[in-house]
Amino acid sequence: MPVGLSVDGALGYPSPSRPFRPSRYVPVSAATTLLVGTTTLFLCFTCPWLSERFSSSIPLYNVVIFLFTLANFCMATFMDPGIFPRAEEDEDKEDDFRAPLYKTVEVRGIQVRMKWCSTCRFYRPPRCSHCSVCDNCVEEFDHHCPWVNNCIGRRNYRYFFLFLLSLTTHIMDVFGFSLLYILHHTKQLDQVDSVVTMAVMCVSGLFFVPVVGLTGFHIFLVARGRTTNEQVTGKFRGGVNPFTHGCLKNIAYVLCGSQAPRYLGRLRKPHSVQVQPPFLRPPLSEAQLEAKVLDNGIQQSKSSLEIMESQSTDADPPPPPKPEHRYPGLPHTQNEECSLLTEAPATPSLYKYRPAYSSPGKNHTASTHSSKMSRGNSMTESPSVPVTTGQPSYRSDPSLSSRGGAGCRGGGEGGRAGSGGLGGASAFGGRSYPSFTDTLLQSAAASCSSSLRSAHTAHNALGPLISEGTTSTSYKSLANQTRNGSLSYESLLTPSESPEFESAAHELSPPRPHPPHSLSTAPGAPPILGYTSPFLSAQQREGSLQACPAPLRPSPNRAFLRPTSSPPSRAPPLSPRARSLGSPPPGPAPGHTPLGKSLSYGGGVELQHRPSRSGGGTSMPNSTIKQNVANHNTHSHKPAGGVKKVTGVGGTTYGISV
Amino acid sequence: MAETHSLQDLRQAAVASKVFVQRDYTSGTICKFQTKFPAELESRIDKQQFEETIQTLNNLYAEAEKLGGRSYLEGCLACLTAYTIFLCMETHYEKVLKKIAKYIQEQNEKIYAPLGLLLTDPIERGLRVVSFLHHAALSVP
Repeated sequence: MPVGLSVDGALGYPSPSRPFRPSRYVPVSAATTLLVGTTTLFLCFTCPWLSERFSSSIPLYNVVIFLFTLANFCMATFMDPGIFPRAEEDEDKEDDFRAPLYKTVEVRGIQVRMKWCSTCRFYRPPRCSHCSVCDNCVEEFDHHCPWVNNCIGRRNYRYFFLFLLSLTTHIMDVFGFSLLYILHHTKQLDQVDSVVTMAVMCVSGLFFVPVVGLTGFHIFLVARGRTTNEQVTGKFRGGVNPFTHGCLKNIAYVLCGSQAPRYLGRLRKPHSVQVQPPFLRPPLSEAQLEAKVLDNGIQQSKSSLEIMESQSTDADPPPPPKPEHRYPGLPHTQNEECSLLTEAPATPSLYKYRPAYSSPGKNHTASTHSSKMSRGNSMTESPSVPVTTGQPSYRSDPSLSSRGGAGCRGGGEGGRAGSGGLGGASAFGGRSYPSFTDTLLQSAAASCSSSLRSAHTAHNALGPLISEGTTSTSYKSLANQTRNGSLSYESLLTPSESPEFESAAHELSPPRPHPPHSLSTAPGAPPILGYTSPFLSAQQREGSLQACPAPLRPSPNRAFLRPTSSPPSRAPPLSPRARSLGSPPPGPAPGHTPLGKSLSYGGGVELQHRPSRSGGGTSMPNSTIKQNVANHNTHSHKPAGGVKKVTGVGGTTYGISV
Repeated sequence: MAETHSLQDLRQAAVASKVFVQRDYTSGTICKFQTKFPAELESRIDKQQFEETIQTLNNLYAEAEKLGGRSYLEGCLACLTAYTIFLCMETHYEKVLKKIAKYIQEQNEKIYAPLGLLLTDPIERGLRVVSFLHHAALSVP
């Protein structure tokens, strides 16, 4: 079972298993130890005298407060903050690579931007942010708290807030009663009890200031109806907060709102489809299913086949189908594998509906055959397809997560800075955990606000540089390294081993230094012809065309396709897509390694993932190899003349006129 | 696993198109879906029916998120029991979610399945979208 898939039928495993990092657990362990340890010492050494001297209700009261604190601490630590499950592949079908990075919605009259999350593959709802520590989008993200080693979001903010309140109370109680003890034992300070009590006093006194500061800060946030993230990033500074309902209502919402449901780990009900007789089609024969598989994207109804028949006289491939059809064909491959492989290159059943066309038939046969072979090879890879989607964090090279990553990090850092300003250890990046005393020293409420401001400005410095700079031309593809690309198999099928194809391939093969720029004006616009390249190179590799230029060599996808793992692509290291934006793609670079071999079909499978459109010459290093597919596809094959229609990402057709 | 596979089977068997109904954020972050009739469904279902379904869903979610005596009592009880009450009791929201699931199933059986549509529960997608799944060919293997 590939990692990343939901292994138990539960819905929406949030993110793939990440490497175990013990450093993440240091602050939470320290916090737990301090809380429990100090309180235990207090209860054991100080409270006996207090209960004798004053009343036994004192220890009882302290125990109750302590338990309440602990309960809230545990809830804040272990409760799902409101993690959104990763969106499924089909959800972003409408949002191809040209879709903008930001979507604006109006919230109570105020324009709010929703950013595309490349990891989670949806537009983040308002107030949602992606935590880079947890690698999840969290609803109403407040911050990532290292002291509980958890994100604070919609579901557990209440517990976090109550934890702060109760901890403040508890610290005050412990400090106060310890002081009382000491004041009554000034002559017996050398006793064990006194020593312990003094230690307890010191610890509680030391933590009092940062905790109170943080509590005060959050009281302010709750009253204003803001999250730490929003406060730190200055979203509503000088503006109106569309999410506030007034002070009292905000407090009521936090304290008295109903417990929000979790989105993860829900058993998904099987979608049982009861089909009424009128809607039943005659069961498809295996050959027909094959045709569906192979002709993914082609209209599958008989009537549309007739349309295709008329279209088949054209040299151009039929236009790709709507993106909706993109995915259904894909899972077919797993079932059809055996039948595909065992069969000789048969005439696809699709053509059973057509009059005998020699060349298209051949084309289709040949393509079917090779596609079958490659499908066979790629079968084992299809599980990896969801892996790609399921493991975006593995795939995304941090250095390349230009927009998305930076945005994510910005959010994460901003959030962390929020908590880090006060007592939090991680100011930026969550990696450094300064010593305990450092955090304490930082912690005054005044310093809290100043550090928050500095965090905020730092964050802001990050943000504008990356997000604002390319707003007008910021496409999802730039940030999105893991999006499904759409590749109509049709376009893969069309170039075949027929002589016509060879000549066409010849025309197509000379790499163009600059893919049609008119079409690439928008960053992320695909150099069109690239989509034929996987199949082209497949054919070429099978010996038909030796004249293929260097770029049309074994694909990086081979590295990705494990069963046939080959040396990784020679793709040059890629600068973040953002930077490559706008600059004319250098064309198929020498290190450009398009799909090759029969594995191109696996590459075709891989092409289901939306490629980045940063231009032909750029290619991603190892982890985003799948992007190479599209990148290499984008090294354009120049059409001979007229208008060539090629399928682009998301099923879009590009007509190239040469 | 079974659940996952059945959905995959569904996909395999059907040429499915999906229509997504996005969240309506005009009133804030409360859970509400757009009642705007999507163009793709024009030929398939009645606009009135669609709006009624979505509106009912919106009302149910509003009921789930209502800030009232019930949620307050639940919160107090949870506090008093150190949140151990969550081990035994179902929260108000969860109860309404069950109601919603039942409603969706009922709508599917009565109205949408005969039209070749399947309405999915938005909770599966984190309450971000409601999807109408259309099956063109429906011989489920």
